[in-house]
Amino acid sequence: MILAVLFANSVGNILVERFNGVPAEERLHWRSFLVKLGADNLKGVKNEELLVACHKSVYIVYTVLGDVSIFVVGKDEYDELALSEVIFVITSAVKDVCGKPPTERLFLDKYGRICLCLDEIVWTGLLENTEKDRIKRLIRLKPPTEF
Amino acid sequence: MAQPFMKKDDDLDDEAEYSPFLGIEKWAALQEARVFNDPQLDPRRCCQVITKLLYLLNQGETFTKTESTEVFFAVTKLFQSIDLGLRRMVYLMIKELSPCADEVIIVTSSLMKDMNSKTDMYRANSIRVLCRITDGTLLTQIERYLKQAIVDKNPVVASAALVSGIHLLQTNPEIVKRWSNEVQEAMQSRVALVQFHALALLHQIRLNDRLAVSKLVTSLTKGTVRSPLAQCLLIRYISQVICDSAGNTPPGERPFYDYLDSCLRRGGEMVNFEAARAITELNGVTNQELTPAITVLQYFLLSSNPVKKFAAIRTLNKVAMTHPMAVTSCNIEMESLISDQNRSIATLAITTLLKTGNESSIDRLMKQITNFMSEIADEFKIVVVEAIRSLCMKFPLKYRSLMNFLSNILREEGGFEYKKAIADSIVILIRDMPDAKESGLLHLCEFIEDCEFTYLSTQILHFLGIEGPTTADPSKYIRYIYNRVHLENATVRASAVSTLAKFGAMVDSLKPRIFVLLRRCLFDADDEVRDRATLYMNTLGADGAVVETGGDASEFLFKSLDVPLVNLETSLKNYEPSDKHFDISSVPKEVKVKPLAEKKAPSKKPTGLGAPRRGPTSTGTVDAYERLLSSIPEFSSFGKLFKSSSPVELTEAETEYAVTVVKHIFDHHVVFQYNCTNTIPEQFLENVTVIVDASEAEEFSEVASKPLRSLPYDSPGQTFVAFEKPEGVPAAGKFSNILRFIVKEVDPSTGETDDDGVDDEYQLEELEVVAADYMQKVGVSNFLNAWENMNPDSERIDEYGLGQRESLADAVNAVINLLGMQPCEGTGVVPSNSRSHACLLSGVFIGNVKVLVRLSFGIDGQKEVAMKLAVRSDDESISNAIHEIVASG
Repeated sequence: MILAVLFANSVGNILVERFNGVPAEERLHWRSFLVKLGADNLKGVKNEELLVACHKSVYIVYTVLGDVSIFVVGKDEYDELALSEVIFVITSAVKDVCGKPPTERLFLDKYGRICLCLDEIVWTGLLENTEKDRIKRLIRLKPPTEF
Repeated sequence: MAQPFMKKDDDLDDEAEYSPFLGIEKWAALQEARVFNDPQLDPRRCCQVITKLLYLLNQGETFTKTESTEVFFAVTKLFQSIDLGLRRMVYLMIKELSPCADEVIIVTSSLMKDMNSKTDMYRANSIRVLCRITDGTLLTQIERYLKQAIVDKNPVVASAALVSGIHLLQTNPEIVKRWSNEVQEAMQSRVALVQFHALALLHQIRLNDRLAVSKLVTSLTKGTVRSPLAQCLLIRYISQVICDSAGNTPPGERPFYDYLDSCLRRGGEMVNFEAARAITELNGVTNQELTPAITVLQYFLLSSNPVKKFAAIRTLNKVAMTHPMAVTSCNIEMESLISDQNRSIATLAITTLLKTGNESSIDRLMKQITNFMSEIADEFKIVVVEAIRSLCMKFPLKYRSLMNFLSNILREEGGFEYKKAIADSIVILIRDMPDAKESGLLHLCEFIEDCEFTYLSTQILHFLGIEGPTTADPSKYIRYIYNRVHLENATVRASAVSTLAKFGAMVDSLKPRIFVLLRRCLFDADDEVRDRATLYMNTLGADGAVVETGGDASEFLFKSLDVPLVNLETSLKNYEPSDKHFDISSVPKEVKVKPLAEKKAPSKKPTGLGAPRRGPTSTGTVDAYERLLSSIPEFSSFGKLFKSSSPVELTEAETEYAVTVVKHIFDHHVVFQYNCTNTIPEQFLENVTVIVDASEAEEFSEVASKPLRSLPYDSPGQTFVAFEKPEGVPAAGKFSNILRFIVKEVDPSTGETDDDGVDDEYQLEELEVVAADYMQKVGVSNFLNAWENMNPDSERIDEYGLGQRESLADAVNAVINLLGMQPCEGTGVVPSNSRSHACLLSGVFIGNVKVLVRLSFGIDGQKEVAMKLAVRSDDESISNAIHEIVASG
């Protein structure tokens, strides 16, 4: 299960948070935990360079893309390797929508499309789509090219 | 209203950079949603409004039931538009709003229409939405379409139906299980993702049938699974099958090993890794079977991708626990990882090396680790310390260098947990390795010379008292112990006195010298230290002569009391001085735990980080108060004690009379317990009472008072005053207090008291009874469950402006203190620089009414704080009362 996908800006404010199967009262903990993790480790990290951490049986893979930090949290079959696939799809889709690693402003300008991409990538905790070109078409309700 | 979006204030200078959502307000966005009702829809505008609503929801904002229903109904109107972009947004919005069962009906027909549409993408998306919002009844109606969708030629439609199936299996397993044939057909799809989703669903459907799962994986190993993701799944299912059939496999046979081995070389890195991990986890795996898997993991260690390195080293770390020799081939790669930027990887590498290293490599490794230790955080250091402890057990001959390492890092900077881990390791080594005892004890002695943690100092002193006297030269430790009596706080001093006594009891030759030191402790500033010194001097006896200590004394010093300390404290508090001595055998040995009444929530699957739980309150103290009050005839009819406050000081420190007050709250009454101490040796007080002026507490009327007959010097006593108050109302008020007594002079040299006394008074500070006094801090383990189990009709919501505050944390603490409730799930702590915060509180209001509170705070650039308060309770009037408390606070 992919427990959470979270986007934050450079000072740790949340831009997007999507939780799956995490009770509402635990979300606050996750939010502050992830933001702190980012603040402690993401300084000076290059775009899309992956960082990884694990806490008990929960894995976290996170990175920076432009002004935005991206965190993906998973457990069970979504271990660090599976999550690195998920975050790769997410970063590719965001870059595709924004045309480049986004500034915060650009990210917010494309907010609706990014939400749609996320909806195509993660379906309540499960990875659904993995190819950026396909996702690009799906968010415009266009069938995939291979079909 | 909470304002979580004011964060952009910092960026106001830079106009180009500020957010398109700057200043966005929920109410405004909801009002904008009225455009959905326009007869001439503007798709672009509608998309913008939906984006705003999504932004609010993604920021953790919640819509009330009414707001959500209104938006949902408005969104359904958008099905009229044929704009593709807008339709896609509508699908997403409906999923986000998760309408309730009675609302779903509004949108069902539109979605069913889309489900049968000729446009494939309408079909795929409407399936996903319907499956998200549907219940069992509707599912039977659409089952036929879903089955068709699973085998649809369009992979997006098939995937949508398959993933929906995985989710629906949790709620409607009997329906989804009927789709087995279609799912099996989808397994043959040429599209990798469809195959991946189909395999996941097929496995879920057959999960409870081991034979079917075994057949499934066996057939798939022979066929062609194209998708790497599906191959990874298959390998995991194979691992499960191997594990389940562990007892039924003939010896020497290793089913599926050949398949796993082949996966080490095909299907891409992800598949290779999964196969390697599966092989390392095989039950009773041999070194020969492990070798190819270790080679793959070794290759991953050289990757530039930190995730791959992390995954590989994590797996190797596990293997090293059972097969350290198999991992030695990776030692060179792992040594280079000690300097890896990612500290998790470096720590895993170090701890693996500590397991795989041989005796000859330890010294070299320790040198590398010493440099590494200064660069990592305490949490990683603790892992290393634990690994070194195990290494020491494995190579006892190397204890010197390992002990030296531990003592060196003990001297360096570090937090409590880290220091504790090191001290614990040294203690374990001393216990298990007699040779290490002398040097270990000296390291600990040196550590307490400069230890900032009282807990660690007392623990080490205790340990020294047990191990020190049996060493070859116990006298060398005395200096370190006695230094504590000079240099430390009272707690450590008292511990040091106990340790000295143990040396005196065990080493007869040291007894006279210990007596001299204990005698000096009789003049200590702290009464506990003095008491202990007196006690031990009497216990050891013989005035410090070189004689053997009696068996009773040794038993008292070295054996535990055998009763829970809480019970002993309560019994001692209840003991009234008389001719009959206190009897320790009368102390109950069972620990009484007050269970927390909470409705049992339906079982939930475990999720990520468990929320921290607060322990029960100190029931011992409450019990002691209750017993004390019920033993006083004037108060015995007041019923059950609801709450006792912690003592509030009514005098300043070091005044003639020290007075604190404890507020005891009953249903109809409040009792003030004034704890008085006379600090003047030349005075003896009699007939001590407190005169309370309740003119600023109109709802209270005094009903009883219990004076204190005598108050000798430095011997605390209590006087009580009781008030009647209205039931069920959090009556508040201010009380001014005057201590009144008869003072008699005492001759300090003889201790004789004059017969004549003089009436005197002493002004005390004012005392307040506040709303928080009527609330017990009782936490709940799962706030959301508790909240959902409470009647929603009792909910009262309102918004408040808290004015300018120093920080958000300041505002949050003020409200928590005002209500006197227990913060749950760690929400009492506000992360620094937060612009918004949500806080969950729980408590029991007088009358045993359970109360839950959800607070949302927001702070703007001018430090103005706004708060939204939602209360649910067992009694609606209490929900209102909580709002009144906040409004008047």
